Amino acid sequence: MSKIEIEHVTFTYPGADAPTLNDLNLCVEEGDFLAIVGNNGCGKSTFCKTLNGLIPHFIVGDMTGSIRIDGVDTREQEIGDLAKRVGYVYQDFENQIVCPTVLDDASYGCLNYAMEDYKERGKNALQICGLSSKISDYVWQLSGGQKHLLALAGAAALSPDVLILDEPIAQLDPAHADQIYEILKEWNETYHKTIIVIEHHTEYIARYCKHVLLLRDGKNVWQLPAQEAMRRVKELRRSNIFPPQVTIAADRMAEEGLVPADESFPVNIEEGKAFFGKYLRHLPESTRMARTPGGGESLVSFRNVTVRYRAVKGQAPRILDQFSLDIRKGEKIALIGSNGAGKSTILKMMMGLVHPEEGSVLLDGREIKDFSKEEVGELLSLVYQNPEEMFIQDSIRADIAYAMKVRKVPEYEKRTEELLAQFRLTELAERDGRLLSGGQMRRASLAIGVALNPKILLLDEPTANLDIATRREVMNTLQMLKGITNTVVIATHDMQLVCDWAERIIVLSGGYVIADGPKEQIFADLYVRSQVGIRPPQIYDMGRALGIANPCFTIDEFIGYFKEGEERYA
Amino acid sequence: MNAKNKMTQSQKMMVFVLTMSLYGLATLFTELIPSFQVGIVEFSVEYFLFIPLTLAMLFDPLSAALGAATGELVFSEIMLGQFGGLGELEKFLTVTIGVYIAGRIVKDPRNRKVVAAASIIGVAVQQFMGCVVDILKVQFAVEDFEAVAGLPESVFFTEGFACLNDILFSGILFCMLPTMYLAPRLYGKIEPLLGVKPRDKDTMIAGDYVLTPKMVGMVLIGFAAAIASELLASGGYELIDWEAAWAGNTTSIIIGIIVAAIIALIVIGMIRGRAVKNAETKQA
Amino acid sequence: MHKLTESILDKFSMDYLRNQVLKNAYGNDDTVIAGLDPRVLLVWYLFFGLVPWFLNDLVILLGLFIFVALTTRAAKIAPLVLFLFCLGVFSQTGYLLIAALFFGGDASTVAPLLVMTLKVAVVSLASITVFSGLDPDRLANGMLWFGCPDQLSFSISFAYRILPVLMEEFQNILLSYRLRGNPPAKKTFPGKIRYLFYQIKLIIQAFYPLMLNTAKRSRTTVEALEIKGYRYALKNPTVKKMKLAMLKVTRNDGIFAAVSIVWTVLCVLVSAVSPL
Repeated sequence: MSKIEIEHVTFTYPGADAPTLNDLNLCVEEGDFLAIVGNNGCGKSTFCKTLNGLIPHFIVGDMTGSIRIDGVDTREQEIGDLAKRVGYVYQDFENQIVCPTVLDDASYGCLNYAMEDYKERGKNALQICGLSSKISDYVWQLSGGQKHLLALAGAAALSPDVLILDEPIAQLDPAHADQIYEILKEWNETYHKTIIVIEHHTEYIARYCKHVLLLRDGKNVWQLPAQEAMRRVKELRRSNIFPPQVTIAADRMAEEGLVPADESFPVNIEEGKAFFGKYLRHLPESTRMARTPGGGESLVSFRNVTVRYRAVKGQAPRILDQFSLDIRKGEKIALIGSNGAGKSTILKMMMGLVHPEEGSVLLDGREIKDFSKEEVGELLSLVYQNPEEMFIQDSIRADIAYAMKVRKVPEYEKRTEELLAQFRLTELAERDGRLLSGGQMRRASLAIGVALNPKILLLDEPTANLDIATRREVMNTLQMLKGITNTVVIATHDMQLVCDWAERIIVLSGGYVIADGPKEQIFADLYVRSQVGIRPPQIYDMGRALGIANPCFTIDEFIGYFKEGEERYA
Repeated sequence: MNAKNKMTQSQKMMVFVLTMSLYGLATLFTELIPSFQVGIVEFSVEYFLFIPLTLAMLFDPLSAALGAATGELVFSEIMLGQFGGLGELEKFLTVTIGVYIAGRIVKDPRNRKVVAAASIIGVAVQQFMGCVVDILKVQFAVEDFEAVAGLPESVFFTEGFACLNDILFSGILFCMLPTMYLAPRLYGKIEPLLGVKPRDKDTMIAGDYVLTPKMVGMVLIGFAAAIASELLASGGYELIDWEAAWAGNTTSIIIGIIVAAIIALIVIGMIRGRAVKNAETKQA
Repeated sequence: MHKLTESILDKFSMDYLRNQVLKNAYGNDDTVIAGLDPRVLLVWYLFFGLVPWFLNDLVILLGLFIFVALTTRAAKIAPLVLFLFCLGVFSQTGYLLIAALFFGGDASTVAPLLVMTLKVAVVSLASITVFSGLDPDRLANGMLWFGCPDQLSFSISFAYRILPVLMEEFQNILLSYRLRGNPPAKKTFPGKIRYLFYQIKLIIQAFYPLMLNTAKRSRTTVEALEIKGYRYALKNPTVKKMKLAMLKVTRNDGIFAAVSIVWTVLCVLVSAVSPL
């Protein structure tokens, strides 16, 4: 008997035209580590909610077919009983945490189900999740990554046999993402739990998962062992899933006849070494010179800035310590560093929202303190991490027009139309920003951000919480900025974005700039990499592992080394 | 328990949580926005009542009303330590009743006229009840109320004026206009986020009449409870005070305090006893 | 006066406000008051919250006032809350005082109002000590013990969880308005009035996005509550017993109660011998 058996399940949300799950059939074995992949709206989250009984007990809709967990139909069980079998961690996990303190939240479920040892259960779960040191902290003191671990601990404290996580690492830097997956792995291997993740980071799937389920239009397309699944490059791409870069590279090279098509493609660097090593044609010595930052005029400069948090009690922690930095005209800067390194604080200081305790921040040579918020708003524009907070009107059009309208910019309607067209939003113009898809929201928030023609555009995590296809969309949108705003600063964890776009990378750690330079220099610096846990795209490491001295940041560059001479630097 | 019943349960909970958080946050601010005085007329942002009013018109009125009252109690009274004891029950009940009535009146949140009328009625009901309670309170709290020169007039005048001022100033500016702006704008947008169908003739709560006898009865009982609680909180103990004043010496004051302490303990014992009993009956 | 308004507005930036509320809720969990049993404190509050209402002796009231002022200090209350307290006391009796004078009152009107001011102050400070000095969770459990509905104790605990999140979101939304908006100049007097109204209008408008964003959140929250068995706990009396099992009366509680009683008795004695 399988752990989970799904037969002919069809589910339609009330008022929806088409079913979200459409005659779904599948089985999950006990002890499996299953990744569910599929494009947006393929029914991944809906499927997971059927497993813990939220559907059909709590969320109503038309459901047919049967879902059995340990052989018992979910319809015949109360949500409470199911919750002890199936744990669930939401994508917006922050809203899942309902108690003010860490231990209380972790043991809240156990308490509600009247388990006598609820405190111990909570403590145990926290310990496994590596939060032992935070046990008596308040939730708002935790970083984003720690909150996620807490949500996980809260679900796991009930010791369910099955744990479901919806996009567990979407907002995390690589170090924290590894941590989450290591914990899941331990749960899977040591405690024999069945783990199900909705995931689009295929490198993690290849590294940790045992099986992959591809959903399309609410149907099971296939369910395969993870390695094999990753090799189905074309089918994955059709569902907007991007397999690991080494696999994509191998697939493209097979198409171009550079490698044999019948050989099994690699899914990680070790396999890649064996696979590509045989075919590498050129091993040129290092030729490319690192570009030094240009000498344009300085727009923003930080002079020996020290900032502290407002502490709730005790000594206020320093975020930045004697920090100095110049941002020059026309630069494309990526600010990187682990969660909590002070990236957002730097952006906020440029907007004059946070004032330094010591030192000064100059904007166009003038102290930023002397500007009013409205003046700053005309020179700089900040696009928040959470695009919902950018939408203050009831339609995209009104939002884009707002700043120009209140400033009585002549012909603002015309410019609004232009921006709508430029960011491909004309058809969505009358919709409320909040009700759009993730990618559309980002496009709209960028359009709002550039409406006043700011001299500098600041973006806080523009690709967080997005699947890879939508990330590409955002990157294309960044290309649209050409000619509108030339100086852009992005705070991000997304190394693909950094590689494809940034010209200057600033690495923050512990309140200091520990590295500042072009990507070639930053990624080659192993010390920096180990300090802040940044990780270049997989293809870069693949190139390194094969002994290619010049860094390759894109798959095209990588493939170049397998071609004839003149195409090498294409 | 059938599926349909459960659905409304969860939705009510969502509305409750939503209203509680939002109105709670708003009441935190009202504690801080400075009021300014022009002569004797005090302009203050008394209430952000438009938040629960709007939500009561869009969703289940009772959940929104209870959520709002709880939000105010928890966020601005308990969190900021402004808790006034039993007297808070008065505010709790008047806010609940006002918001509930306004929410029941509106059938179509897109109709601005009805929305405007409903919101001003809600505020007026709430303010009027508060005003009556306030006058009674001062009457009980200050000894020889009638005998103090100028006091009755001043109390009637200030309370009555404050009430009218609140209805006209706060009521129109901070309840009616924002509700008129928000309710039609949110209609059809906020409902899908909670998985609810927008309010129309079919989804309108049972009971087509705006004023059912049951509802009127409930409102009256609530109002009576509000007055009773307020008087109990501030004035009810005047009886003891009066007896103490009759002796006018230290012994009587000491006796008074001891009596008060004993009464306090008895009240606690009673509450506790009832709670235990309730728990036991539930268990049985 | 408008200068004052402005400086207050500046001081009470959202950031400051958020910090103060958090400080008030969580920053004082290591004080003597926070360590007391919530039930003892609630009983204590019932006494200090009620008795002053029917005392008319200036000396006793003054004595009680000093005592609750000391407990407030011991509870390390955030300055903002104290400021609100002062504002509250003044506005509660201050305006009556002015009105009474306006209608031809004299010393006989003022004296009872002065006593009333002290009453209000003692009661408010007692409430601040208990409700701000206690940890929200302990407070919620204490109230639960006295038979308050579970929903209320859940609301208290949830409010403390959600408040920092809501405030941050509200702050960001307001910021969007400020950075993109264009407020009226505030040089002249009418300009200042306009500016004030503009600010208030912004705060109201900001609730439109906030309502939608919060609605999005509350769906997940309610679903999560369901999974975590919130409704089961309401039906199950054992859960309540388990929650209350952590309440324990300690020696500190005894000392605190004894000090309160001795002080009150002393006040009464002093009042007996004093000429007032």
